[in-house]
Amino acid sequence: MARIMIVDDAVVHAHRHRELVEALGHQVVEAENGIEALEKALGADWDLFLVDINMPKMDGYRLVREMRAGEELRAVPVVMVSTEAKPGDREQAWAAGANHYLVKPVRPETLQAVVRAIAGEAGA
Amino acid sequence: MSAGATETRACAQPAISDADFERFRDFFYRKTGIYFEDSKRYFVDKRLLERMRATGHDSFRSYFTFMRFQASGEELQRLIDLMTVNETYFFREDYQFRCLVGPVLDEVLERKRPGDPVRIWSIPCSTGEEPYSIAIWLLEHWPPIERVDVEILASDIDTQALARAREGVYGRRSVQRLPKALLTKYFEPLPDGRWRIVRELREAVDFRRVNLSDPADTRPYRRIDVIFCRNLLIYFDDASRRQAAEVFYDALNPGGFVFLGHSESMSRISSLFRVRRFEEAVAYQKPV
Amino acid sequence: MGLVRRQESGQGAPERERRRHGRAPEDLVRQLTDPDPAARRWAARDLAAHPGAADALADALEGERDPAVRQALLDALAAIGGEAVAERLIPLLRSEDAGLRNGVIEVLQGMPEAVAPRMARLLEDEDPDVRIFAVDICRSLPHPDTPRWLAALLGRERHVNVVGTALDVLAEIGGPEELPAIRAVAERFADEPFVAFSAKVAIRRIEEGRA
Repeated sequence: MARIMIVDDAVVHAHRHRELVEALGHQVVEAENGIEALEKALGADWDLFLVDINMPKMDGYRLVREMRAGEELRAVPVVMVSTEAKPGDREQAWAAGANHYLVKPVRPETLQAVVRAIAGEAGA
Repeated sequence: MSAGATETRACAQPAISDADFERFRDFFYRKTGIYFEDSKRYFVDKRLLERMRATGHDSFRSYFTFMRFQASGEELQRLIDLMTVNETYFFREDYQFRCLVGPVLDEVLERKRPGDPVRIWSIPCSTGEEPYSIAIWLLEHWPPIERVDVEILASDIDTQALARAREGVYGRRSVQRLPKALLTKYFEPLPDGRWRIVRELREAVDFRRVNLSDPADTRPYRRIDVIFCRNLLIYFDDASRRQAAEVFYDALNPGGFVFLGHSESMSRISSLFRVRRFEEAVAYQKPV
Repeated sequence: MGLVRRQESGQGAPERERRRHGRAPEDLVRQLTDPDPAARRWAARDLAAHPGAADALADALEGERDPAVRQALLDALAAIGGEAVAERLIPLLRSEDAGLRNGVIEVLQGMPEAVAPRMARLLEDEDPDVRIFAVDICRSLPHPDTPRWLAALLGRERHVNVVGTALDVLAEIGGPEELPAIRAVAERFADEPFVAFSAKVAIRRIEEGRA
């Protein structure tokens, strides 16, 4: 079982992604913006972060930059999930240090395939 | 049953459905960072019903709409008052003091030049339990105090509370978490059974009235190393919270720290600070 | 003991520091472009008391990169408020900079009187991202008409993510009046599993069930 953080201020999105990830047998913690994610994440081990881009107080890019700049979360894989598909968004995500970029609404099979590829699947 | 979907008739007992409770819980969490477990249901319902009665709403839905869209935010503030129990006593949330005398002050000292004082600001200090607790904790658990000067600044908007803080007289409830040895070391028993904090400590803490929203009041607070601001910002609206965070940012030295109350989170207030998670507690640091 | 009472002299220094620079609004506006971020931040904070400086603050906001200065500029604009500030902030929703956009959304959420008359236009903007940000503003805008605006948006919206975001917000703030619009959009987007899911959650939340 992997530990996965879902960072999204849109409650229904977060809820949807949580169900899909939990169906793979993983444990999920939710946070509604980057600061809350850091508050909850530091001091524990993580296998994957699913990070929305537009969030109040600390957006997804900044969260990933802070993760990459610090010691503890530097190596945790990050998948950015955004409603945006403008040219430049992906580049910003790569530049911040994301490992993968998905555009909402993510097909359930796609999200699960990406999670499975990075965090595996627990025998649920 | 869909209690919220139709207006409850005047004769019926207004009720809060599961869905109502969940919506309220999400809303309240978003606003304050305080999350009510299902076990708090009775506590929450009782207070909601009390405010529904007081504001003349006979369904949860109409009350929730009224509260949610009220531009002044007044009703939300009333609810927060009711939903939070704000007690003050010595050594409250002492894990933060452990964090203070451990990693936090170590880091602060690393950036000090010899002879520079360490400044700690307690706001709101209410009747003084918090700043005096910090003072006692430092004297007991922080050996560098032998060679480093520490200034403890304590402020509150309430002048009556400040007068009591300066007087330093406390009842049994306030001091019950203090070990006996510390009580006898730092307090004098009064004939009426209360305890008065010793003069050295009363004179060491600088008590002043400060309104956090008034720049003229907060301007003198500069080059602070650690701020304790516990269980205050939850009572503020979004703009005032942000403003308070700005005041702290400007008051702190680079690398200085803020402690908030245990149910509070900077994630609803400001992104100016770095999240630092120590073994004992979470603190927020002004970037160096 | 090492506990010492605050020295009065300790307080004077920052005051002196501040007085080095002029504090008249014209001086402050000039300091908004000072190379020192601390000076820019102080200028922004002090300009919050000068409504006439709104344009200068908004100009500075567009180019400011330092997060602490940016926050001070946003707070100063929020403190000034009003129609003119809203007019200057709304175009910034198109910024490439997520941090700036989100700061702007937050300030606009705090000015319902100025935002309400402009919301219809924003929710019909040609850029779906701007419509999403407008819906995000509605999430925390203390204005009683927000659920109605979002229901109207659902009636015409073609972009799946705008619909998804609106459903997300309606799950939080919608009432029984919005149920027909939610059901209709779910039907219209029947082949989008995410819309179906979001609509289901919103309906359940509004009606009775658990989300």
